[in-house]
Amino acid sequence: MVLSDLATQTIVNGLLLGGIYALAALGLSLVFGIMDIVNLAHGHMLMVGAYIAILLFAATGITPLVGMLLAMALMFGLGVLLQKVLLQFVVDEGLEQPIIVLFGLALILQNLGRVILGGDARTADIGIPGNGFDVGVAFLSFPRTVTFVVAVLLIAATWAFLQYTKTGQAIRATAQNRTAAKYMGINTDRIYVITLGIGTALAGAAGALLSMLFPIDPYVGWSYLLKTFAVVVLGGVGSVLGTLVGGLVLGVSENLGALYLGGGYRNVVSLLIFLGVLLIKPEGLFGGSGGGE
Amino acid sequence: MAFLEKKPGESLATDRRVLAISALVVLWLVAVPFTTTDSLTGLILTGLVFVMLGVSWNLLAGYAGQISLGHAAFFGMGAFVTAWLSTPTGAGFPESIQVPLIPAMLIGALAAALIALVIGPIIFRLSGHYFAIGTLALAAVIELVMLDQRELTGGATGYYIQADLSIGELLSHGDVMFYLTVIATIATVVITYLIVRGPTGLGMKAIHDDEDAASSLGVNPLKYKMYAFVVSSFFAGLAGALYGHYTLYINPQSTLAVSWTIDSLVVVILGGMGTFSGPIFGAGLFLVLDNGLSAVVSGYSEAVEGILIILFIIFLPTGLYGLIKEYLVEEVSGSDAAQTE
Repeated sequence: MVLSDLATQTIVNGLLLGGIYALAALGLSLVFGIMDIVNLAHGHMLMVGAYIAILLFAATGITPLVGMLLAMALMFGLGVLLQKVLLQFVVDEGLEQPIIVLFGLALILQNLGRVILGGDARTADIGIPGNGFDVGVAFLSFPRTVTFVVAVLLIAATWAFLQYTKTGQAIRATAQNRTAAKYMGINTDRIYVITLGIGTALAGAAGALLSMLFPIDPYVGWSYLLKTFAVVVLGGVGSVLGTLVGGLVLGVSENLGALYLGGGYRNVVSLLIFLGVLLIKPEGLFGGSGGGE
Repeated sequence: MAFLEKKPGESLATDRRVLAISALVVLWLVAVPFTTTDSLTGLILTGLVFVMLGVSWNLLAGYAGQISLGHAAFFGMGAFVTAWLSTPTGAGFPESIQVPLIPAMLIGALAAALIALVIGPIIFRLSGHYFAIGTLALAAVIELVMLDQRELTGGATGYYIQADLSIGELLSHGDVMFYLTVIATIATVVITYLIVRGPTGLGMKAIHDDEDAASSLGVNPLKYKMYAFVVSSFFAGLAGALYGHYTLYINPQSTLAVSWTIDSLVVVILGGMGTFSGPIFGAGLFLVLDNGLSAVVSGYSEAVEGILIILFIIFLPTGLYGLIKEYLVEEVSGSDAAQTE
């Protein structure tokens, strides 16, 4: 009985965490679906976003929920800059060059994080009072619940943006067929800039949310890159709903893995799920082979 | 400098100037332990390890076109398997399985190749971005599992290796390891050269350029990818075994760390991806830059590596090799034209 309560609690916590994973993965999925680039620096961008929220909280005590907005704005700027200064040279040049440019960027961000902030793990507090509540046998802690709700709201907002705004339509058109989109008068260069900006901003938002739950150090980038890519693979590239489901699945299975196999296997479980899905059904459990939904 | 203008089918090794330069380099390497300090010998040994890593990664990524981000796994597994055989008690194995160091290193490299042979058919179901990130994940899994297996790897404390190959007062253990590394580097370069210049190398280049077209012409992509992957992993494992038994200490967190993948990649990008002598130039440049710049801007070595590979891949994708070649060819183009038969 105790075990089953524990298992229920673990699943609930996994779902709440999964929402943030989904938010982080959405940025990666957008960039992959539209620009055909795997952003190897995505996890490191998440780390930077987390540090922005942590530093703001440490300096002023402003809750990371507000810090998240600052992180998103700054990271949007970083994404735009990255596309305009570096990636535009390599974006349609095949596989090797973008991968290596982004790999290099990940190294730079990790190094700067270590030099400026030190190698120690840091964390922020939610900074606003509130109590969790019980649902059946499970307890929903306040920070986990708030971060989950914010993450899902941001995912919904991104979906609505893609679905209902003119720019969103242009982004989806570019994802479907970039040549045809160009002929229809869409400025695909501008679409790339916006897409990378949004993708980076979402990474920053997820980082800010995670900083309230877990310690962040400059080396978390690789592990979050693999986690978010696992979600993209689970959900299918370019599918918003699939990404959400993928995030929840990953969050739950990771927590269950940590519960039954020991904390050291938390990451191993997510990586094995990732490799398994990649090998068995590389187009993802949901959705097609790319393109907006 | 016409040797830089060889056609693909022609052999670089037939050029006497290249042979002469190579012989001079080897002679210089032989003299290194006697003429320099121990720390400089160690530095040059590290450079040779970079050559082995770069040449092997280049075979897989530059020639066969498979961007693997898991090279560190093979480097580290080569080191660990060798360590289990050279110092079995460290992992709780019976003393009786101890093997002399040189065969142990070959077995370690073979073990790395065997891992590649087993996982190759699975991981090569992925291609492009998925392959790159799949190999990154695979290396991460191996690192995490090895870190967790404390009794086998020492966990975060690491694994101390007992090995002593010193020859009397004449050569210390480090010096002997240096010579072994020189021999292994020459073997890596020569064998990779023979593969690249032979029909197998042509097959690899064909699948790199256009896998579908090559496939339709009867080139089996999986066969050539596997060939590159297994050979590349063997030499990466050998490099790991040598480096681990030079430092006499290995640790899952550093020996299997992604930094070895990064180093392999940086060496190849600096030198010129998909060019044969690129990684050799690249290793030299990397060693100079890494040590020179870390003296100037200490603590920023990763950022410097990152900036270098970004700048090189965007503005100088043919690397140092391409730069040298362009410079020399321009300079001698007049006399070159006169020489052609």
